[in-house]
Amino acid sequence: MSNTAHSKAAKEFLKNQKYAQWHDQTFWSVRTKRDNMAYGLSEWEQLRETASAIKRHTLTHLDEYLDQFSTNAEKNGCIVHWAKDAAEFNEIVLSILREHHVKKMVKSKSMLTEECEMNPYLEAHGIEVVETDLGERIIQLKGQKPSHIVMPAIHLNHDDVGELFEEKLGTEKGNHDPTYLTYMARLSLRNEFLTADAGMTGGNFGIAETGDIVVCTNEGNADMSTSCPKLHIAAIGLEKVIPNYDCLAVFQRMLCRAGTGQPTTTYTSHFRKARPTASPMHIILVDNGRSEWMGNPEHWESLKCIRCGSCMNTCPVYRRSGGYSYSYFIPGPIGINLGMLRNPKEHSGNVSACTLCLSCQSVCPVKIDLGDQIYKWRQQLTSFGTANPQKKLMSSGMSFVFNHIGIYNSALWASPLANRLPRTLMYCSLNPWGEGHEMMQFPKESFHTLWKKGKVRKAKVKREK
Amino acid sequence: MATKSDILSKYKRNINKRFPMPEIKVDAITYPDPLAQFVFMSKTVGGKVVELKPTDDLNHVIKRLYPDAKVIASNLPEITIATRNPDTVENAQALNGTDVGIIRGMFGVAENACIWIPQTMKEKAVCFISENLVILLPKSEIVNNMHEAYKRIKFNNLGYGTFISGPSKTADIAQVLVMGAQAARSVTVLLLP
Repeated sequence: MSNTAHSKAAKEFLKNQKYAQWHDQTFWSVRTKRDNMAYGLSEWEQLRETASAIKRHTLTHLDEYLDQFSTNAEKNGCIVHWAKDAAEFNEIVLSILREHHVKKMVKSKSMLTEECEMNPYLEAHGIEVVETDLGERIIQLKGQKPSHIVMPAIHLNHDDVGELFEEKLGTEKGNHDPTYLTYMARLSLRNEFLTADAGMTGGNFGIAETGDIVVCTNEGNADMSTSCPKLHIAAIGLEKVIPNYDCLAVFQRMLCRAGTGQPTTTYTSHFRKARPTASPMHIILVDNGRSEWMGNPEHWESLKCIRCGSCMNTCPVYRRSGGYSYSYFIPGPIGINLGMLRNPKEHSGNVSACTLCLSCQSVCPVKIDLGDQIYKWRQQLTSFGTANPQKKLMSSGMSFVFNHIGIYNSALWASPLANRLPRTLMYCSLNPWGEGHEMMQFPKESFHTLWKKGKVRKAKVKREK
Repeated sequence: MATKSDILSKYKRNINKRFPMPEIKVDAITYPDPLAQFVFMSKTVGGKVVELKPTDDLNHVIKRLYPDAKVIASNLPEITIATRNPDTVENAQALNGTDVGIIRGMFGVAENACIWIPQTMKEKAVCFISENLVILLPKSEIVNNMHEAYKRIKFNNLGYGTFISGPSKTADIAQVLVMGAQAARSVTVLLLP
């Protein structure tokens, strides 16, 4: 029944079967690495339970923790800003940059700045923005958006990157070796770090008790971005604030194990204030819908997300359809849910991208009931006016048949006839069930008939005691 | 522009039910020999570990490890081979081109090879900009896990600290792991007696 926006887009992804298979296998191997990490700690489930409870507590007391966080950050000498939406956020960033006469800003990866579409806004106002996470830099040079929240350039292979670098960075023709390409990107980015006027980071956590912004990277690019420029701006969504270091220990242990299957990120950096030779550090706390989502009794727990990416790595639909098949900028199970919170009319095409296998919620380190939430969103499609009329018609048809025993029996009796329909009739646009997969063969006799004829016998299975 | 109180009061209005803070009691992993586990994990994450004997000369050992190094940056008094000092360079940019940076770690974490490094120099760039990083770590200072680690970390007035576990790395090109993304391309932990 491939008429949702997601499945249409997925068809494009699946055109390159070889790549689609690589994508699927790559993420399955990340999932396997995650499992090895999780099974290596007997306390893993205890950690998940604790992480979930901490997040529930924190989110339902976030007014207090945000107050504590901003008070402590200001005590440390930081300048704290509050932005109610993307537009305000972008304006605040621009005004800080203008105040410091910034022409070029390096930045580490931040899904929040993607959410607010900050880069195009700043560029339109004459600021050069340089992404410094290698994956982000690749897609920036390519003029694309991330297809995964942790591995943003996963949709490109080494030849794609090699050709891109030949054009943009002047690398050797035909040398598409990842080690060489990474080194060339390092040289080019090193120059950007040294000459930028400002550095921006996101934040994985804000610590209420100390005012720290904590940033986790493998590349060290957040630290490079803040080590040379004279100005550091950190931007975080409200929900990133947690109470204290005891809580942070729980999340730090899980973030990378769950996300990439590593025991830790290479760098876990704590920023409490600016370098002695730099201007005061700015922190921008961004609402952009979060305070409203908090009021949604069925879906507020999506705010527990720590953006590890494990739900998309394990998702059979994400693995086989890729990040660009989703209409929201965050793909996979968490993206489906956050997209629906953001704008259900625009993003309900994603809710079908789920088999309800619930693999996502069994790996989620903070125990978000991702699959259950997707199921709930599906029940509300009519109210958003985005339910599929064909599916609705079929559902009411089926409900009519199942409620009228006579019609049900006649339909059952007639069903084997479908086996003999010519293929052209069976696999045409009138039968959406026949699209993309083979129809079942109906049995000659139904279970019902077999039972009546006494043909159903107790299976003789030896049970071992 | 919205103010802090606008945003906080809107958030507060939308809280339906407040959940209590759980007791954070995790039966976290410990190791019979935390140092051995730390060494094993350091190698797993791509780092090198060298144990110093009491009779070894620290500067000689580093020279032997990096025989081609010309530019060495450190502000540690016991490092006599340094050619640059992150405390006295004019700016962070002046540390670019450092072959080996030498810094001190406060303690290591056995479960993931993290080493706590508070900023103890004017320009913390030395920890990242150096091609190769040497971290001096007393071998008695190893904790089991991050719960123990976060109970121990202390901040000084410079207001920055980081856990480093191995060299800078990336797998952003076709998922091939490459050491040396934007920061140090190699990390050697020198375990001090």
